[in-house]
Amino acid sequence: MKPYILPPESMTNEAISSRLTNSALTNIDKGLIKKKNLVYLELNGCSGNIISLLNGQNPDFEYTLNSMVNLRYCNSLMASEGDRAIEKLMNTLDEDFILAVEGAVALKNNGLYNVIGSWEGKPLTGLQAAKMFGERASHILAVGACATHGGISAAKPNPSQSVGLQKVLPQKKMIKLPGCPVHPDWFLGTLAHLLLYGEPETDNMDRPLMFYSSLIHDRCPRRPFFDRGIFAEKLGDKTCLFKLGCRGPVTRVDCPTRQWNGHVNWPIGDDTPCIGCAQFGFPDAMAPFISYDTTKVVKNE
Amino acid sequence: MQNIALLRLQINNLVTQARHDIFTLSNQDDPSIKQQILQRLWETMSSIHFLSELLANQAMTTLSFPPTQQQSPVDLRNTIQQQIPPITPSRNQTSQQSNQRTFSIEELSNYDGKNGRAAYVAVDDIVYDVTNNRAWAAASHFGLTAGKEYSGEFASCHAGQQSILDSLPVVGRVG
Repeated sequence: MKPYILPPESMTNEAISSRLTNSALTNIDKGLIKKKNLVYLELNGCSGNIISLLNGQNPDFEYTLNSMVNLRYCNSLMASEGDRAIEKLMNTLDEDFILAVEGAVALKNNGLYNVIGSWEGKPLTGLQAAKMFGERASHILAVGACATHGGISAAKPNPSQSVGLQKVLPQKKMIKLPGCPVHPDWFLGTLAHLLLYGEPETDNMDRPLMFYSSLIHDRCPRRPFFDRGIFAEKLGDKTCLFKLGCRGPVTRVDCPTRQWNGHVNWPIGDDTPCIGCAQFGFPDAMAPFISYDTTKVVKNE
Repeated sequence: MQNIALLRLQINNLVTQARHDIFTLSNQDDPSIKQQILQRLWETMSSIHFLSELLANQAMTTLSFPPTQQQSPVDLRNTIQQQIPPITPSRNQTSQQSNQRTFSIEELSNYDGKNGRAAYVAVDDIVYDVTNNRAWAAASHFGLTAGKEYSGEFASCHAGQQSILDSLPVVGRVG
């Protein structure tokens, strides 16, 4: 049997993202790239993106952050707390830094619905911090649904009057990574790209094309069932989940090929419909997440 | 009756194809080729599933079905990339006959896509069928539900995109 000629490099998503991050690390070691400061602000949200990022692997989150950037502030991951933590945050203000923001900006009562610490005896609101650091950052990454467009924090009736980061920094260019939560690769890959080659190419909604260019529907392994009109009637069915309310056809991201939890599975792979968490307008515009009454025919209702 | 014979022929061809693939799979070590054969097996299975549903339907009604192209078992080497074409049933004859139907807004609200009903929406007084439109999963689209008139909403989100409307089946007018 003739031996197969293998391509020089593996072209899986995982291999590409690990090549990207590894070459960033190599270049930092050689002194070709300067390690940059990273400030990670957590505003009106649930820490879900941090939790998701901790699940990053190859490279893992801690290693990447320690070796690729100087993490100057992150309320969930740093050892300091209280005033000392805020002091560290304020010390970075006059330096060059990349800003990553997770969570929405609460506007109500001049931002008092979201206080992230106290500074000089006064409460430091998320609104203040977002404006203060957003104006000075060299690059801004809006991480997750809440930071990119308000997300769950801004869902009706939106008691805190939350908005996405762009609303309070209308003039600033930012890279948006929608998703609830963000996949570790989307964040780490964008960060590595930023260090290596500068800002990645984005679409007209500021999402990096390397992750957000294809519709879930177009790469869905269950697409043959959609094309033939074979639809699931309940959760757990192995066919197309369209009639149950799958938002894959309106959601642009690479879940079908990337997959989650260490690249092992994703919602549709586990027989539940996509809820469109990486689409602008989530969750209100993606509701209802599940509908049974489209497939079930009820007589004499 | 001829249609049923054609369907049977198609199913038999697909079964032969599947057997052929299973045989090839059992002798195949290369994981990348395995993956492709598995994908084709899956497509074959979904075609069989679809055709059997169709047969069951035909057994109950005498709905006409246009013959689709036949497939014969193929050799793996040349056709790994070959896709089984999607089989799209012809649209219901009833909807073709009634695309001049006039709906009142009240009538339109019955077509909300629930309980097996069709999902219709109206834009600029024309009623479109979105039952199986991919952007209308579970008869809802970015917070809008089927059975209503959405001229304003369409203009605000899809201004100048008449092509979207042109691709939708027309079922009638609002009058």
